[in-house]
Amino acid sequence: MSDAVKTRNRWLVLPGMLFFFTAYLLLGLKEFDWQAFVMAIFVPGVFFLVTVILPKLIPADRILLTLVNFLCGLGVLVLFRLNPERGFGQAVNYAVGLVGMIGCLLIVRFWPQIKWTMPLIVIAAVGLMALPLLIGTVKNGARAWVRIAGVNFQPSEIIKVALLLVCSFMLARRMVIPTLAFAGVCLGLLFLQRDLGTAMLYYAITLILVYVSTGSLTFLSLGTLGAGAGAVIGYQMNTYVQNRVKIWQNPWDDPYGVSYQVVQSMVAMVNGGPWGTGLGLGSAKVIPEVETDFIFAAVFHEFGLIFGVCVILMFLMIFLRGVGVAMRARSKFHTLLALGCSCFIAIQTFVIIGGNINMIPLTGVTLPFLSYGGTSMVSSLCIMGLLQGVANANERGLEEDQLIAMLGEES
Amino acid sequence: MKLIKRKLRLAVIAVSILLMSLVVYGVYSLGVSGNRWFSSSVNTSLRKVKQGVIPGRIYDRNGIQLAGANVKGERLYHTDEITRRSLVHVLGVPDGTVKNGVETFMSYLLYAYDDSYLTRLTAAFSGQMRTGYDLRLTVSSGLSRMITEQFPKDKSGAVVVMNYRTGEILSLNSFPNFDPLQMEGVATNPKKPYINNVTQWRSAPGSIFKAVTMAAALANWPDALDRTFTCTGAYQVGETIITDAGNARHGEITLQKALAVSCNITFAKLALELGDEQFRLAAQAFGLDDHLLFSDLVVENSLYPSSNRVAKELAWTGPGQSALFVTPMHMCLVAAGIANDGVIMEPKLLIQSVDRNKQGKAQMTPTVYKKAMTPQHADVLAEAMRQVVVSGTGTRAAVPGLKICGKTGSAQIDGQTSTNAWFIGFIDEKTLPYAVCVVVNDAGEGSRHAAPLARQIFEYIKNQR
Repeated sequence: MSDAVKTRNRWLVLPGMLFFFTAYLLLGLKEFDWQAFVMAIFVPGVFFLVTVILPKLIPADRILLTLVNFLCGLGVLVLFRLNPERGFGQAVNYAVGLVGMIGCLLIVRFWPQIKWTMPLIVIAAVGLMALPLLIGTVKNGARAWVRIAGVNFQPSEIIKVALLLVCSFMLARRMVIPTLAFAGVCLGLLFLQRDLGTAMLYYAITLILVYVSTGSLTFLSLGTLGAGAGAVIGYQMNTYVQNRVKIWQNPWDDPYGVSYQVVQSMVAMVNGGPWGTGLGLGSAKVIPEVETDFIFAAVFHEFGLIFGVCVILMFLMIFLRGVGVAMRARSKFHTLLALGCSCFIAIQTFVIIGGNINMIPLTGVTLPFLSYGGTSMVSSLCIMGLLQGVANANERGLEEDQLIAMLGEES
Repeated sequence: MKLIKRKLRLAVIAVSILLMSLVVYGVYSLGVSGNRWFSSSVNTSLRKVKQGVIPGRIYDRNGIQLAGANVKGERLYHTDEITRRSLVHVLGVPDGTVKNGVETFMSYLLYAYDDSYLTRLTAAFSGQMRTGYDLRLTVSSGLSRMITEQFPKDKSGAVVVMNYRTGEILSLNSFPNFDPLQMEGVATNPKKPYINNVTQWRSAPGSIFKAVTMAAALANWPDALDRTFTCTGAYQVGETIITDAGNARHGEITLQKALAVSCNITFAKLALELGDEQFRLAAQAFGLDDHLLFSDLVVENSLYPSSNRVAKELAWTGPGQSALFVTPMHMCLVAAGIANDGVIMEPKLLIQSVDRNKQGKAQMTPTVYKKAMTPQHADVLAEAMRQVVVSGTGTRAAVPGLKICGKTGSAQIDGQTSTNAWFIGFIDEKTLPYAVCVVVNDAGEGSRHAAPLARQIFEYIKNQR
């Protein structure tokens, strides 16, 4: 059996550090910006800390850790280049996210001791989800934001973590109906908030988890049909959705009007060409919402097609690595949890990058790890924390195995 | 546990495919449409790309230089004003006032966008300007100039001439035009001389569309040629009455004869009998409703009407009225398809592009756009269009010694005093494979105001042989 947690990652860490160092150096030299010089030292340092030092303290999958932190660092870099203030803001989000990640890792680590909180999590999740309907603010057609104690956040992002935990936990105990009920309530509330992109993600993840745990093809086909029906109903009932579909079909009908955003994204990508305009030399700022929804277009624009493809491949590697963790997991709960986490990040990536390149209609979900936004960053890293928690548990399981050597016991 | 891990595989494969499809789609769409996006007027950074590059020179098919540049990279043009005017819509202007001209649509060549990084770096360090690639276009400046001189001075309209075997565009004229050396007031001129009427302007085609209606009849009825139709001079459909020009009464006529005399009633009957679905399919076989994504030029899509398809409207679509919207370029393609055994070639503007070391950067390859009809039906239709010119409404397009086929049209436009005069046609000779489309707006009948200009074009081509 290969030992995932101990795989050496220094050949990934070193180029990563070099990448960030040169990138910030370039930005600094371009306009002689001392902030960039500070970042040129600081960012590679943090990158080294979280990818080399951290896994020494808490065993975790190092490859996964390296890839995820590289993407987070890339997000901070691109945002810093677009708008230094946003870059610093994102660095803070990143730090909070890392704390969240470690927290989630520990939740999985000590799950047997705290699993009695499950009903509380369910109640808190539903309550939190209903919050935007009571005191929420509308943004981009969705009533998904809440402001508490001066902090703006999107409950649906945080509840992703709860959804993954609750679904995996219940399904591991064959509690299919309660799972569906919980997911259904969450979905219903999301629909009422018109946060359809997130609703789509929740639906897909629930479907995958229920299918994998029950193995029921009937359920899979019913679920797929339901998704189709939901899409049609959503389309019929919502002019906002109809507009998005229209833009997707014919972005060039109104390039200065409704489809300005996606057309600018396409143009920015083609301006980048295979090698990109070069860091700091592009003009991705013309795309509205470039810092959140269209961050991928900005990366593509300045770093080029080949780099853009590499970013997608990194997400694919994160996914496959996560699936590897799921395969090695020692309990049904851990397998489902790891799979759910991997799928969540992968599908979210597909939905938003697909929207950026106009492969599918645009929905307002964020690109994990890269998009600007505290809630998104924290929730993505928390999901990674859950995944790392399973990797950590695998590792401990392996050690136990070695202790009770060759007794051939299986958990 | 084992079951879960087995089921897991399907989910993993599905999600992996999703992620990989992003790569495939992204690379594919950039490869196919990248240049189109790049050179679109929405691209604000095009101006930036152009800095530090002396634009390539543009030649016509005979090697006559149409546009050059001085050492500062400013555009220089042909010395003759009429030549400049006649080609302004083909070439476009560097600031993009004319949308999708060669100047913008082929800017990736003219401004050497795919120069290697080494070349760019060398240029940046030496402080020298890079040179773009030269273009040789398919157009003939002589023919374009002649058309501009002969086109009615105060009228708007469009003329396009193409080789129907290869798709090469010999001339593309839009009226009114303007001189690229006198740009003041062009962008604000209420007549909008910067619009390319050949590719960007859509209007009702009138009777020239009967060629498409007849193609639809040929495709759907094996006995189409044996049938006769009765034209009594008035035909009531719903609350509307369809009549013919000059209230003519054609009596018992065949399909060929109906095309020659341009009988509205017969073609209205054809449309009604075909039904909306069959007629639409036949029109779509000629490329209506299609996004015309050609490699060398941007053409607005022509539209078969999609709503309000009541009998009255359908009947009027047969003779080419009623919410039909077509571009002159597309109507030229219809004529070209009939001439070329039913195969429409993609229109081409660029013969060749070379860099400063005479290395080829782009080369024309004739490409089939669409198979519109079978060779047999195309022959039948060509013969019927021959009769239009021999004995029908198109006699003013006839040139002694050439086999000319054609169809006239007079499209009624709301709010205009006269009709738009249309003519589509072609020379049915192996050595002179040329098709034309002429439209003179608000001028009168196609037979009087469009066909004679087509004749002059055919004569010019004949004399150049």
